[in-house]
Amino acid sequence: MRMRVSGRKPASPARVRRPFLILVALIALAGCALVFKGLYIHAKAALAQTLLETSFARAIGKPEATRPWPWADFTTEARLTARRLGTSDIVLSDAGGEALAFGPALIGGTARPGDEGTSVIAAHRDTHFNWLREVRPGDFIDVTRRDGAKATFIVRSARIARSDASGIDPHRDGHWMALATCWPFDAAQRGPLRYIVDAERVDDETTLPPLASPPNGLIASR
Amino acid sequence: MLEDDDFLLATPQRVIRARMTRFAALALAACLAMFAILVSSADADTSDTTAYTSATAVPRLAGLVRPNDVNSGSLLLPSKEPGFFVEAPRLKTDVTIDVDGPILRAKVTQRFMNPTEGWVEGTYVFPLPEGSAVDRLKMQVGERMIEGRIKPRQEAREIYEKAKAEGKKTALLEQQRPNIFTNQVANIGPGETVVVQIEYQETVRMSDGAFSFRFPMVVAPRYNPDPIVQTVDFKGGSGFAVTDPVPDRDKITAPVLDPRENAKTNPVSLTVNLDAGFPVGEVRTPYHAMRETDNSDGSRTYSLSEDSVPADRDFEMAWNSAAGAVPSAGLFRQVVDGQTYLMAFLTPPSVDNAEKPAREVIFVIDNSGSMAGDSIRQAREALALAISRLDARDRFNIIRFDDTYESFFPGLVAATPDRRETAIARVRKLDAEGGTEMLPALREALENQGPVEKGALRQVIFLTDGAIGNENQLFETITKDRGEARVFTVGIGSAPNSFFMTRAAEVGRGTFTHVGSEAEIGEKMKALFAKLENPAMRDVTASFEGGITGDISPDPIPDLYFGEPVVLTARLPEEIKEGAIRLTGEIAGNPWRAELPLDKAAPATGIGKLWARRTIADLETERLTTRDSEALDRRIETIALDHHLVSRLTSLVAVDVTPSRPDGEPLGSAKVPLNLPAGWDFDAVFGEQPALPSPAPMQKAQAGANRLMAVADTRMIAAAPTAEAAQAVAASANRNMVVLPQTATLASRDIMIGLLMILFAVMLFVASRLLWSTFAPETVSTRERAD
Repeated sequence: MRMRVSGRKPASPARVRRPFLILVALIALAGCALVFKGLYIHAKAALAQTLLETSFARAIGKPEATRPWPWADFTTEARLTARRLGTSDIVLSDAGGEALAFGPALIGGTARPGDEGTSVIAAHRDTHFNWLREVRPGDFIDVTRRDGAKATFIVRSARIARSDASGIDPHRDGHWMALATCWPFDAAQRGPLRYIVDAERVDDETTLPPLASPPNGLIASR
Repeated sequence: MLEDDDFLLATPQRVIRARMTRFAALALAACLAMFAILVSSADADTSDTTAYTSATAVPRLAGLVRPNDVNSGSLLLPSKEPGFFVEAPRLKTDVTIDVDGPILRAKVTQRFMNPTEGWVEGTYVFPLPEGSAVDRLKMQVGERMIEGRIKPRQEAREIYEKAKAEGKKTALLEQQRPNIFTNQVANIGPGETVVVQIEYQETVRMSDGAFSFRFPMVVAPRYNPDPIVQTVDFKGGSGFAVTDPVPDRDKITAPVLDPRENAKTNPVSLTVNLDAGFPVGEVRTPYHAMRETDNSDGSRTYSLSEDSVPADRDFEMAWNSAAGAVPSAGLFRQVVDGQTYLMAFLTPPSVDNAEKPAREVIFVIDNSGSMAGDSIRQAREALALAISRLDARDRFNIIRFDDTYESFFPGLVAATPDRRETAIARVRKLDAEGGTEMLPALREALENQGPVEKGALRQVIFLTDGAIGNENQLFETITKDRGEARVFTVGIGSAPNSFFMTRAAEVGRGTFTHVGSEAEIGEKMKALFAKLENPAMRDVTASFEGGITGDISPDPIPDLYFGEPVVLTARLPEEIKEGAIRLTGEIAGNPWRAELPLDKAAPATGIGKLWARRTIADLETERLTTRDSEALDRRIETIALDHHLVSRLTSLVAVDVTPSRPDGEPLGSAKVPLNLPAGWDFDAVFGEQPALPSPAPMQKAQAGANRLMAVADTRMIAAAPTAEAAQAVAASANRNMVVLPQTATLASRDIMIGLLMILFAVMLFVASRLLWSTFAPETVSTRERAD
């Protein structure tokens, strides 16, 4: 009986144990690497904003756009503040390429915020624009541009659209700003849907035009 | 002892088995969990539609359209779902196109119906060929007939909004893009019929001795997702239901309307009066069968055959001249308010020695960080294609730049097969990172490549997204240092800086090519290669002879590529019949000269409007580069008002005098029979055309249209006029609308999967410890025995 037992499982612990432990360690290591990669994205996003904040404060009012760091392929364009939520973000010049990892970015070919037309600013839903879900119609969003100009926008509505059918006209009449991020907010994957907040410029808060119609429900029903 | 031993061992063995089973179960569960998570995340990427529908929680019905789907004139009524619209049933479309020499004038009359129980504001969207001049709008709403007047845009909108608020029928025709126009119609009563008539003018396209035009008439593809409405019918209390989720699926999901059915529900009659101005040879309408009638004055009339399938392809007509009478030049004149307007076209002779010239090509490719992702892939692909087209006689060099730049070769080198392959291999390895310093690379390309060899064409080809700030500096450099070279720009990505690209190509005397997606590379680059590889007519100038002055546009005249005619318009401040226009140029080293005597000019209509439309287009381009845009805006507005043209700054507005929706009147009014006022040639719309010999088919058509509407479900239409919705149509009718970037990081997914993996590892570890701890005594005992 004893012989049978030891014969059936002869050297299984000694020979299997080491490779097995190595495998376990590798899995744990890969897990750590992934966690680190995820945290790195958040850390980069948060750290970059503090660096950009200093760079923007220096660049304000200067005629030439300056780069926040020498190898950056973007410049700081504006500071975006959601008044009620107390957020503040530095908007970068170009949403192409890698700028979105560092901050919200102005989409190429759209107006500067405050100018005539629609200025479109996009950012990641889980970093810089995670406050977008809290925005309500009637909220004020303040923008300070690089050239020192200030503008205040009032949120009109929010909607969900596919990225290739955003319905945003960059040459729309009036002064508009569209803030866009991915939707749904809590999803772990990427998808084609975007959450778009439309805001219109208001010059004097005391003579605010009334909301033309109740906003299109998405904010309320979310 | 043995028994004892047996007994002692038996327990651990059972324990081992139990633990092993538990371990295996745990491992299996962990594996399953991870697998499920990975699958679900992969799955989510494909199941967008369901995510969208469940998000909005509104079942989408077939028949809703987005403004972007509209390819032909359509009246859109706002639906209850933001961003989506119901296309009003189109009862009949009648198109008359008069071709008079180089100019064509189209009159489009369409009849729509408001199928709802409420008063609505509809938005009529119509895409037209770029360069069309829209100058006329007439509309009949129910019994009311209104004609549009030209006003400055802002003023027109105010008039419209005021009339709308007062309950008057009113219409506003605005230009949203040079090729997209919208017409808003307010206060259309329940069941009322709207007749819209627009007129526009356009030039006949000329290329390689052939003349052609195109009329958009494709029916909008319906937004038609998989139906998600499910009705479950439990029978007999068995708890199981046998049901077809969508009983009328075949009606809803029909991807294309049956052409015959469609011809009835959406009948189109189309007539072309062709007066080419020269003996016409072959006339082709590739997608439609036509009946031909010869008129006494030498012109011909074409109309659609009854049994043709009208509305699934754009209408196209092309003609050439009878043999031996190829018109290589034309000159037309119109006198308006004492001013002479001229239009001239001339196809330069083709060069006999058709041998392709040797080329010296310098490619400049942007691999800065802004190109990361799709852009750099497309740029690499396009560049590899261009290199592979080079000939052994050609010489070439490649410069890549980010915030540094680097030449692949020390200077221009012969494009031997070996070098081409090396270059392509190197191009394929380019990665996008770093800043964008274009100027040094541009200088390197323009200044440091040595002199141009005799007879060779020097071409600089720029592949970039143009994400730069110092545009003016770059334009200056190109103008100053270009020398013999032509600068061609290739814009990469969905939103390149087209202003920079267009202007750089303009000052560089080249062309701008936009490659928007992977799929477009082949086609777009092929068109570019045709221009690059054939000799072009260069340094073209035009001037007046015989002591007269006037402005000629375009100025400067761009290079003319293979088979392209030069098309000029000019305005003279007085009525002039003498003198000439002199053209000079150079093709493949040979000088070229031509003269067009003004006394031979044929009188034609529409030349003044053509001049105005082109001048406005020129001013719009100029406006991009000037600081004083207001002065240009004023000039554009003046010209548009003078010539009764819709432009970015002027709109047509029509207001009915009496309110049709007075206060207090109940909304559901009786259907009003339509009485046509005299003098309106809407006959065709009302079934007196041979295509519809008796009124009976017309009624059928109407019934068909109503059926169509039933599918779309009239309840989806928002009843009240919504200004915002109309604004949204205007906004999104634009095909160049902003494409939003990917704005989700994979951070949370990575963290989640990472944590799961750690958890899994910990679980394995703990489980194995448990397992081995049971083995341990035995191991020891085995060893002891060995000792």
